[in-house]
Amino acid sequence: MKIGAVKEKFTQLKDSGALSPKALKEKMTELFVVAPQEEGKAAETGKKDFRKMAKDFWYGKPHEERRLGDLYIGDTGLYKHREWRGFADTMYYFNMIWLYNYGHMITDIIKYGGSPLALVDFLKGTMRYRWMGQTYLTVMHWFDRGLEGMRGPILRGSAWHYRGMVSASIQQIMRMFTSDKKIHGGNESEQWKKNIAHNETVSGSVFYPFRGQVTDIPLEMIPYFVTCHVNNHTVLNYIDAAQSIGLPADPCPMCQAEYGLFVLDDYPDFAPTMVTSNEACDGSVATSVLQDWFLNRPLYAMPQPMRYDDPLVQEHCQKEIEGCWKFIEEQYGAKFDWDVFVEHVNLQNEQYAFEHEKWDVAANTPYYPINGVAQALYRIFYSQYGTQPIWHEVDGHVKKLMQKTVANKIETLPKTRHRAIAWSCAPLYYSNWCTWAYNCWGINCVINMDSLMFDQYIRTDTYEHALEDLSWYNEKAPMRAMAVGGHEHIFQLWQYMERFNCDMVIMYDQLQCKGMQGVHGMFEDEFRKRDIHAIWVPHALPDKRTVSRKEIRKIISDYMTTVMREEPLDPTLVDFEDGNSW
Amino acid sequence: MKIFGKIIKILALVYAALFAVFYFDLDGKFLYYIWEPMMIKRFDNMKREDNTKTPYEEKDILAADRD
Repeated sequence: MKIGAVKEKFTQLKDSGALSPKALKEKMTELFVVAPQEEGKAAETGKKDFRKMAKDFWYGKPHEERRLGDLYIGDTGLYKHREWRGFADTMYYFNMIWLYNYGHMITDIIKYGGSPLALVDFLKGTMRYRWMGQTYLTVMHWFDRGLEGMRGPILRGSAWHYRGMVSASIQQIMRMFTSDKKIHGGNESEQWKKNIAHNETVSGSVFYPFRGQVTDIPLEMIPYFVTCHVNNHTVLNYIDAAQSIGLPADPCPMCQAEYGLFVLDDYPDFAPTMVTSNEACDGSVATSVLQDWFLNRPLYAMPQPMRYDDPLVQEHCQKEIEGCWKFIEEQYGAKFDWDVFVEHVNLQNEQYAFEHEKWDVAANTPYYPINGVAQALYRIFYSQYGTQPIWHEVDGHVKKLMQKTVANKIETLPKTRHRAIAWSCAPLYYSNWCTWAYNCWGINCVINMDSLMFDQYIRTDTYEHALEDLSWYNEKAPMRAMAVGGHEHIFQLWQYMERFNCDMVIMYDQLQCKGMQGVHGMFEDEFRKRDIHAIWVPHALPDKRTVSRKEIRKIISDYMTTVMREEPLDPTLVDFEDGNSW
Repeated sequence: MKIFGKIIKILALVYAALFAVFYFDLDGKFLYYIWEPMMIKRFDNMKREDNTKTPYEEKDILAADRD
């Protein structure tokens, strides 16, 4: 901004009275002051209860007295001040989450960028791409939203999951930025020549035989998918861009956003080839076709059948994967390396063994130290991206925590009234609804559909077994495994409800998913027949304009008051505005 | 010893200042009210390639194959 413009802005503000002492005081009150609420003895006597204040300072307020909704500034989602969780948890949040993550973001940029000079590439990328400059810098608020009201081990375990996702995101961001032709004057660096781009719905596991020779980076995971969770303002630009060139508005908005990135020329050019997929539906086929057009470079489409567990299609699926390997060998001169493949598969199997351990604790005890949103996002992120050292580091921390909570029988969400399973595809712009649902109503979202996909160990005793299992693994990808893979899979809900000891279903209703819309009525019938408490949550995946977060909360709150006849644990969270929050 | 004391004091002040930034969500307020509007303006006004002008060569190859 030029000095003249600043002066002009200042004069305008002065003339409008916005800089008067009264206006400034009002603004400061709006931004920082929480209206005091006297309760208990203090409310009766009108005097301050210092003993209670000291107790609240040290241990944090009891759940019912927290009034978390009072902390918000208007509809921004910002806090007048961050939550005081008691001394130990507040200091943990400050030191081990806020400071630790800000600090590690810088070290990760340098580590994954290869040198301190990578900071320059990071800055260039920040100023070039909307999804970076506008979105990811707000990442600590993503933590805040997901971890609101959490205390003790669940605060720590969930934060480790977030830390893993941030580090893996920076790994991808830096590989993209350090290779990107667009921010390096069109130069095709050696690194650019060794990268392979792939759809975010093609699992990183497909590329294990070539790790070390070729670097696989999902193209849309960072520019699109993760942005929706961190700051959902950005993605709307891409959805609108897709429709602006005459493409229809009714397909899945995820697919629209993915090709909208190309319409707006907001994708980094970091690889000479691409591997695409039809996962999860025919909307994704359109994405592949459009990417083929916009990228105009060698592209391998790896389609998978919708009715994937038909025995007749298995050989076909395996041939598709082998076709992809052949494509990589031809394009990069790389060689299929069985030992590298086995090494990575074993690491992945290790992650899956721990995931099953986690599910066991989540299903059978109240001691699980991961909340609903951290469970869902971490699981989908690591299984989609493929094995990486950061996941093992995070799992190590979480394992220790989980052993402690189980050994000491620490109830991690002690106000749980209902154990819920979330089914179908979640609203990306409100993945933290489960944190709100626990704080407000005591609904503990124990597990969700996307966590249960990719449930497949891969054998490595023979090539044939490995290929067969890898093929199954990819067929059990998110959305296809249950949502569009045939009604017998989507109805696995009943078994999972029983397995995870759930008494309630949060049934996502993705309004633009034709597959899921097709089974809506069948679910209604089944819920009635089985007498299950199910709350339908409509949404449009990344697009918050179709069903707002406030509307989602209202639907859940209405069900809890009218059907369940329950009172909220925190009444300030029942009705509040957050339409403009990240 | 004096220098050591001074360093401790400075570090304590920095730590306290960072805690204030954290507690009063000053990072969020800065990003929301100052940084994000600047970025929106920047990206809204950015000149971009018109990717719809990209020739779809694959289409011609497929057409040739069919012929």
